[in-house]
Amino acid sequence: MTQADLTVPIPSEAPAVSRKWLVLGGRVVLAVLLVLGWELGARTFGAVFFASPLDVVMRIAKLAESGQLFADVASTLRVSALGFAIACVAGVLLPFLLRRSPRLSEAVEPYIMASMGIPKYALAPWLILWFGIGDMPKLVVVTLMVFYIIFITTTAGIRGVDQRLVNMARIAGAGEAVIAREIIWKSLLPFFFTGLKVALPRAVSATIVGEFLVATEGIGHYIEHSRQVSDTVGVFAGIVIAMMLVLSINAVVNVVERRALGWRPVEREMEL
Amino acid sequence: MGEAPLLEIKGLGKRFAARQGREPSPWVIQGLSFSVQPGEFLTIVGPSGAGKSTLLNMIAQIDTVSEGEIVFNGEALASRDARALRPGCGRRIGYVTQDDNLLPWRTTFDNVLFPIEVQGRLDAETRAHAEMLVGAVGLAGFERYYPHELSGGMRKRAALIRTLAYDPPVILMDEPFAAVDAQTRAQLQADLLRLWNLKRKTIIFVTHDITEAIALGDRALVLSRQPARIAAEHTIPIPRPRKVEDIFAVEGFATVYERIRAAIQ
Repeated sequence: MTQADLTVPIPSEAPAVSRKWLVLGGRVVLAVLLVLGWELGARTFGAVFFASPLDVVMRIAKLAESGQLFADVASTLRVSALGFAIACVAGVLLPFLLRRSPRLSEAVEPYIMASMGIPKYALAPWLILWFGIGDMPKLVVVTLMVFYIIFITTTAGIRGVDQRLVNMARIAGAGEAVIAREIIWKSLLPFFFTGLKVALPRAVSATIVGEFLVATEGIGHYIEHSRQVSDTVGVFAGIVIAMMLVLSINAVVNVVERRALGWRPVEREMEL
Repeated sequence: MGEAPLLEIKGLGKRFAARQGREPSPWVIQGLSFSVQPGEFLTIVGPSGAGKSTLLNMIAQIDTVSEGEIVFNGEALASRDARALRPGCGRRIGYVTQDDNLLPWRTTFDNVLFPIEVQGRLDAETRAHAEMLVGAVGLAGFERYYPHELSGGMRKRAALIRTLAYDPPVILMDEPFAAVDAQTRAQLQADLLRLWNLKRKTIIFVTHDITEAIALGDRALVLSRQPARIAAEHTIPIPRPRKVEDIFAVEGFATVYERIRAAIQ
């Protein structure tokens, strides 16, 4: 123990500050390089295959001015958020219910795993057959996409719960509902947030792919429409908007996570 | 034996379920009998691996019994079937385990309040009692710290008063002070005796440390090696209040110590 302690360098106050600036500086340099590379790509391959960054920014500004940006983002967000919410509720509740009955859980597990193997996008044509070309087919695909991720991370979280804490709570007089809420849920929160962050970009992607197929608005619809009229700038603008949407939601999730998991001892430097 | 015993262990035996295709596991405990009077501080000494924790787990009703009976307050506890177990026996048996088992997402004070809270008894009075206990074990000022921000000794104190705060009539303690340094341990033992003096609860305290068994107990049981049975029983003649730090200088200590040590062999 003491030997290991001696070899670990103790960071002092001053380098911590300069380190922060170093990281920030590195990020700025990377951003400049990326934009330069992008611009270089545009000049090399031509505007038909590669839109220049300045054009993309101008296009996004124009879309914002006309209000179409907000309408498209709202449309994509509506489907993603609803599907995400349904999937989260089901993906958390189901493992909690299965926990109560190990035998049922064992019986059901292979079927859940098998259904997970279905490529969700492959369902789209069949779903359109069933539900027509409204929000419903997209919603189903998004929900399925997110559900399995939340289901698996929640199940892993429940399996990882420290049984000694459960016993402690039982002896103290806690009923099953209190144990589920105070012990199981709190223990699996870190798993749940990991699941959320993995699922988030997929939910938005699933919505966008759905919009390629059937939509009258939405980011995916804008991208697909731009492609049809060979508007490369429009395609790029759509991708950038989708990325910014994911990053914004991720930032919100990070804030919620930090508040919910504020008790955790580790200072997490990398945020996903 | 004027008073009826509060807790009676009769011919208790435990062996763990055999895995498929293997010999059934040997008896961890077999033919173990003893009784505990209300308000008694009973210590149980035994070599490591003697089944001390298993014994407490069975009394706390988080593990099943293979044979024999546990009678609590005249009522036989149904403890053969895992699904019939009632952990903590309706909040009447508290259990301070070897690990502190504090909830990492709750602050020290919220951990202490946890049992009172889940029992729906959190009010001004129970809160004040918990605050008193926090002060009594020197945790004042650390109420809002999370467990990982506390030292090992402080965590033990928090776990101890978490059980004392909800006031179960019987408290089981499984080597609660085993994992702390000698000085902290003496302090914790003194704290425990002081708190026990305020409210004479029935305590069953398991340890492998003979000195600890003598310093704390009214009576010490010695467990044999596996399968565990009672190898000896000693009443501790040392009057209370006791001073834990110089217990070994007290008259009578050496004799009891020698006798227990001989019984453990």
